[in-house]
Amino acid sequence: MNTDAIIVTGLYNTQEETLAAVEKIQEKGFEVTEVHSPIPSNALAQALDRKKSRIGWFTLTGGLIGFFSGFALPVFTSTRWNLIVSGKPILSWIPFFVIAFEFTILFAVLGNVVGIVTQVGLPDPDYEKNYDPECSGSLYGIEVASPPENADSLRDLLDETGSLKKQRETK
Amino acid sequence: MSQLTFETINTTVLDTLSRPGKAYWCIICLLFCGVIMGASCWAYQIFVGVGVAGMNTPVHWGTYLINFVFWVGIAHSGTLISAILFLFRAGWRNPIARAAETMTVFAVCIAGLFPFIHLGRVWLVFYMLPIPNQRTLWPNFQSPLIFDVIAISTYLTVSSLFWYTGLLPDLAIIRDRSQGVRKKIFKVLSLGWSGRTGQWMNYSRAYLLFAGLATPLVISVHSVVSWDFALSVTPGWHTTIFAPYFVAGAIHSGLAMVLTLCIPLRKIFKYEALITMDVLESIAKTIVFTGIIVGFSYATELFIAWYSHNSIEMETFWWRAFGHYAPEYWIMVICNTVIPLLYLSKKIRTHVIPLFIISIFVNIGMWFERFVIIAGSVAHDFLPNAWGHYSPTWVEGGIMVGAFCLFFFLFLLFVKHLPSVSMTEMKEMIHKVE
Repeated sequence: MNTDAIIVTGLYNTQEETLAAVEKIQEKGFEVTEVHSPIPSNALAQALDRKKSRIGWFTLTGGLIGFFSGFALPVFTSTRWNLIVSGKPILSWIPFFVIAFEFTILFAVLGNVVGIVTQVGLPDPDYEKNYDPECSGSLYGIEVASPPENADSLRDLLDETGSLKKQRETK
Repeated sequence: MSQLTFETINTTVLDTLSRPGKAYWCIICLLFCGVIMGASCWAYQIFVGVGVAGMNTPVHWGTYLINFVFWVGIAHSGTLISAILFLFRAGWRNPIARAAETMTVFAVCIAGLFPFIHLGRVWLVFYMLPIPNQRTLWPNFQSPLIFDVIAISTYLTVSSLFWYTGLLPDLAIIRDRSQGVRKKIFKVLSLGWSGRTGQWMNYSRAYLLFAGLATPLVISVHSVVSWDFALSVTPGWHTTIFAPYFVAGAIHSGLAMVLTLCIPLRKIFKYEALITMDVLESIAKTIVFTGIIVGFSYATELFIAWYSHNSIEMETFWWRAFGHYAPEYWIMVICNTVIPLLYLSKKIRTHVIPLFIISIFVNIGMWFERFVIIAGSVAHDFLPNAWGHYSPTWVEGGIMVGAFCLFFFLFLLFVKHLPSVSMTEMKEMIHKVE
């Protein structure tokens, strides 16, 4: 995106209108930089060609760490006092599996949270930039980047696609 | 449902967050007094000693652990509704998922208090943590009590994070419609959520993974709680059926508590358009299903005691049904298995008053189930000369009432300060219907 480009945001009532508008704006050669929506939409993610989420890797990594540390903790603590009682082995793998299972879930969830923080981009102190508060409630907002000289034709295009109102911000 | 729009959902839910009236604060004050009363009873027990409770030989596990198991059970259906039914794409869960998740978080917090209370010398609670004592001895990880500490703390952490993650888009809606200090607070709480496509994509995946992880966790946690009993050799406890029996019972009691909470919530907040009669009916049908599983478990216990020809087991179960705790046993059987069958009648399950009353009966029955299992088994084990009875004292009663007050106090604070119905999930639901 050109550093002098301006961002114009168009607001739409429904997901279907938004999808149609995104396609039309892209056809006309403008760059749709972001879409804000009140609910998740796979169709919008596909239209914007977003990459597949990588959160699962964080969760998997957390789960694996949890599984092994869930075994490591009871093994370590049992071997601190090597006193054989009733001829039973020092390491009781079956009860330790319960600990390992709980740790797997706990660490997988913590991995998931790390994934949210890094991949979803939260906390985001600059969220207000180009964001219309109506997008959290019921409307869909399309952010479009344009060189300053094409701003008027972009506004006309947004009107044509059924945009409710427009905002403007210079980047 | 078809008349709902994104805007009406926002308005209906956000209206519930308006400044509460005097009646609300009166109830809050009353419940707070109950909490103080419970806390005072606990303080009295700490100063005088755990002997002020009715627990004595042979019944050393009394009301505190009965309440512990009861509240863990209540917590379970929150996760059933928010996670398991989410994975099954059951649309009727959406309007009640938030209330159920919140119930889970508060119920686990309250359940977690009871082992502390039961300890008596609460300052020694660190013995349960994985740290070595002065003789370099670590906790015994083969013990189901240590399984329990780890399972419950994992469950509390996971359910709190799941609850907060689900709240994020709704917190942003409140932020965008607030002014002044309230806006500042919700700005922090919503973490700058802006509903970007990339955010939604990653968020949805994370939420799905949360649900996928919470599902085996919820089943494991109540199984672990059941092993506190089943891994001992006490007759009445030492059975392999305990894990599924406890899980089914937990869901049974939790669903009943969801009805107990959601029916007044629906009436007071005028949520009829969101929490429809179909939703309440679906909960009632699930209660019939879990009630049948619980009834089957009761019958299986009796059958196995007879079929095994083990004289101790036979005596234990005969005594349960016809001995000192027979009234408690029959309250349990009737409230948990017979009364919920009334929901088979469409007329009953589509009317809020019988729905509500039956849910209260199930709650009572499930509390007595824990009483019968816990106190009833140790009161009458192998040696007749060691048999005895248990009755709770006023201190235990006070702490129990205080715990119930704390639960409703927290829930009432929640419903007036945070959205008690998930606006985002409701919008997703109506979008799919359209």
